[in-house]
Amino acid sequence: MFAATAKYRQAFLVGLQSNLIYRFNFATRAVFSLFSLAVVFVLWRAAFAGAPAIGGFSFGQTLTYFVVLILLQFLVGAFNEDYQISEEIRNGLINQFLLKPINYYLYRLSIFLSARLVSGAIVLLPLLLAAPFLHAWIVLPGGAWRFALALPAMAFAALIQFTIAYCFGLMTFWFLEIQGFVILSMAVEAMLGGQMFPLDLLPPALYRVAQWLPFYYQMYFPAAILTGRIGGSAAVRGLAIQAGWALVLVAGGQVLWRRGLRRHTAVGG
Amino acid sequence: MNYFRIWLAGARYSLVRTMMFRGDFFIWSLVEFFWMTVNLLLIAVLYEHTSSIAGWNEYQMILLVGTSLLVQRLLMGFFWTNLFEMGRNIRTGDFDFFLAQPGHPLFMASTRKLDPDGLLNSVVALGVVVYAARHLHLHPSLLDLALYGGLLLAGLAIHYSILVLTMSLTFWLKSAQGIEGSYFTLAEFGRLPREAFRGLARLLFVWILPVVIVSNVPARSLLNGFQARWTLWLLALAAIWVVLAVGVFNRGLRRYASASS
Repeated sequence: MFAATAKYRQAFLVGLQSNLIYRFNFATRAVFSLFSLAVVFVLWRAAFAGAPAIGGFSFGQTLTYFVVLILLQFLVGAFNEDYQISEEIRNGLINQFLLKPINYYLYRLSIFLSARLVSGAIVLLPLLLAAPFLHAWIVLPGGAWRFALALPAMAFAALIQFTIAYCFGLMTFWFLEIQGFVILSMAVEAMLGGQMFPLDLLPPALYRVAQWLPFYYQMYFPAAILTGRIGGSAAVRGLAIQAGWALVLVAGGQVLWRRGLRRHTAVGG
Repeated sequence: MNYFRIWLAGARYSLVRTMMFRGDFFIWSLVEFFWMTVNLLLIAVLYEHTSSIAGWNEYQMILLVGTSLLVQRLLMGFFWTNLFEMGRNIRTGDFDFFLAQPGHPLFMASTRKLDPDGLLNSVVALGVVVYAARHLHLHPSLLDLALYGGLLLAGLAIHYSILVLTMSLTFWLKSAQGIEGSYFTLAEFGRLPREAFRGLARLLFVWILPVVIVSNVPARSLLNGFQARWTLWLLALAAIWVVLAVGVFNRGLRRYASASS
């Protein structure tokens, strides 16, 4: 058992080193997410000028939601994992994994976790810089239970995000280029994952539908727990659905992997 | 005339190429279409909860976003891929190829290909503008439409210049990573009404960087008719940015030393 985890720990450590090389890229992205936050700030403040509350929440609460979203993006979000996996398949780099006693999914997951450790630490920097300006608006609800529920929600969110990226990467077995699909899904995720607006602002019927889709659990769900947009019982029920989606996606990834390998031709070594 | 013939040859080549990769064309058209939908849905949701944003009602806002998307799709259709490949080519030394062509290297590099998916979606963006204008019961005269078109072109020139400027940086820097993201982030500001900006943000995004003006001035001209001050301001800005971009490109070109290897 210990030996089995040791190799993935090693992958994690190597991933940590190689991701530290990209610290500058992560930092640039983090700084630009502050610009996106400025867009959010300007737009929503103007919207709140005519309405003291939108969806039952104040401007501060809404802005807090978007700040938490940035934090989550760097802590649990998938960046370009789909693209990396696609490249490894295209270049034949996965051939080596087929000959060794290592599970490719777990190997990539270990590297994903190390990457999020690095990007999650780096995003704190611009957020700290913006803190003197932002802190007057930040409104976080109290309650230790929120953090207790948000932690597993974040873990499952990371798993869902990574596994979706993994599945997109595996589509390289069937298609030459996956970039189109990836950006297409990014638009859907931006919408139904709550990155454009808090999902609870959707018309009630649509909101209920969104709750059954995996995108809801990628970003919105942990953010909503942390910022008080959903209550305790909804959070517990959500965790169950979220775990279900994680399971389905992981199983789906395994099926894709096995089917894809049948089409894969390893040339050279 | 000669330049037009060169451009036409490039356009023909791009169309043939697109026909070869129909699946790709379909997917990328969908990509841009989805992103436009996302932006419009945001407006729909916001106006479910409020009736005015910085003095703009829902359809005025759709007109603004449509205008901003239109400029962006035109940029995508005509220049985007070319300018990105230019950055890469400068880095790898493949830019040599353009220096040997019969025309100014900037013209040759930025008009090599068309992206029909971007052009297709600019028609969709135009549809959004028309849809909003109908709901607002606007009846622009031919002159108003010509003015709107002219202002759009000025906006396109500004976006193009900003992109040329950033891509020209690769003459000095060895990598221009992250520029793609920075452009899209800046473009997001173009979908906001000018009146919503205050203080430092107003200084930065309305006055120093022309991203807000580019969409607000044409949209306003369609809504309220000709406004001499803003029209002149946008045209002047377009002239300044084009001169700046071409100047920096030419300077960089002098530094170009072919392959770095």
